[in-house]
Amino acid sequence: MNSYAQLYDAEQTMRGVRELARQIERHFSVPRCDFALVGIHQMGVPLAKLLCRELAAGGRAPEFGQLDITMYRDDIGTRSMLPRINETVIPFDVNDREIILVDDVLSSGRTIRAALDALTDYGRPGLIRLAVLVDRGEPEFPIRADFTAFRVTLPPERKVMVRFEPDADFPAGIFDVNWHRNQ
Amino acid sequence: MAQWKRKDLLGLYDLSAEEITFILDTAAEFKKVSQRRVKKVPALRGMTVVNFFVEPSTRTRVSFELAEQRLSADIVNMQAQASSLLKGETLLDTVKNIEALQVDLVVMRHSAPGAQNFIAKNLKCGVVNAGDGAHEHPTQALLDLFTIRERLGAFKGLNVSIIGDIVHSRVARSNIWGLLKLGANVTVAGPSTLVPREFEEIGVRVCHNLRDAVADADVVNMLRIQHERQNSGFFPSIGEYAAWFGIKTSTLRDMKPNALIMHPGPINRDVELAGEVADGPNSVILEQVTNGLAVRMAVLFLVAGCRK
Repeated sequence: MNSYAQLYDAEQTMRGVRELARQIERHFSVPRCDFALVGIHQMGVPLAKLLCRELAAGGRAPEFGQLDITMYRDDIGTRSMLPRINETVIPFDVNDREIILVDDVLSSGRTIRAALDALTDYGRPGLIRLAVLVDRGEPEFPIRADFTAFRVTLPPERKVMVRFEPDADFPAGIFDVNWHRNQ
Repeated sequence: MAQWKRKDLLGLYDLSAEEITFILDTAAEFKKVSQRRVKKVPALRGMTVVNFFVEPSTRTRVSFELAEQRLSADIVNMQAQASSLLKGETLLDTVKNIEALQVDLVVMRHSAPGAQNFIAKNLKCGVVNAGDGAHEHPTQALLDLFTIRERLGAFKGLNVSIIGDIVHSRVARSNIWGLLKLGANVTVAGPSTLVPREFEEIGVRVCHNLRDAVADADVVNMLRIQHERQNSGFFPSIGEYAAWFGIKTSTLRDMKPNALIMHPGPINRDVELAGEVADGPNSVILEQVTNGLAVRMAVLFLVAGCRK
């Protein structure tokens, strides 16, 4: 059985999302609407939606996309099973666009490596930045987050999960999962 | 079902409805890859696929080959005429030799039903059935299912009629298994020599009259009639077959106005299908070809992805 421990409650997590939105606003300090948020499946998608809502409240209207990186993973053929591929929707022209990749947790950095490959197959973005709610601080690749709300240090066998209320697009909290791989 | 766990795709008979839906969902994402400017993903980078066609094939082989290229796999094509099968080597020895070259996947067509099942049992690498005798042609049925789902949404209660040489058809068999599992009603129709009553035992309606077969159909899947069957006495002449079981523009009047016309190709124009119908608004024949690529990418990705 996996054991869960709450690291941040719903209120604290939501404050983190707002903090992330403020960092993005500061970075794009000239009021402009032409940047885009691209959430990475699974949990990067509801997070990016939430960020879009927060940014809209501040007068910005970034475009929204969602990206599945399964076809770009570096462990295909080494797994005993394959997960379902989620829908990729990039409804805008990627060329010359300023894009913020959004994921819930930066852990090994491998997901972000795959996301960069996937995104650049859609075109040549002008700039890509990375926003994560939780930075675990020990990536396996030279990949760092540009915007982050929480820093969490935990042993590698522990998994950090951001959970969202189903259908509500509201965070339920951030959890430390004692991860037992049974696959 | 949220996971895929098979190293081979041998037929739809073995698959659950959830597994079939899983492949179709995966194919929907792969279809988008071919619509991008960069029509390629690195999913099978560093993997080698052997296309081993012991029975000749053009369109299926080209579709598989293109699917493999779009997944960034390395490809070797082997044909029976050029293989050592002609020198007396057994099939198992041939594929064992292929596997010894560190191949990851074998896509195989063979005239003997069950050949791929036998090979899959004896190889560690993945096996994809590209047609085995009159047994199964799973990727053809999957692309038919994908096309139906894309056009009509769901399978529950859908009436699908498959018309032609059912008894010799692996396309018909794979379609029947897939459609029944997904909840469609299946009718098979054609001359009684090619559509025996025994098919009723697996849960399909058997019909020997074209008008009855198509009247309530949401989908009509026309099979290619093979000229050599005429010489074997299954029907008197191609002309007579066309007159009784070919879809003509006049047949459309007896059908639902939006019924889909499908055909696995290659078409015998004006035999099983009038040219005007094949090119008309009900026809989704070229969509089937496009979807075939997406479905094969999905299948190759899934079976190559969980071998270890």
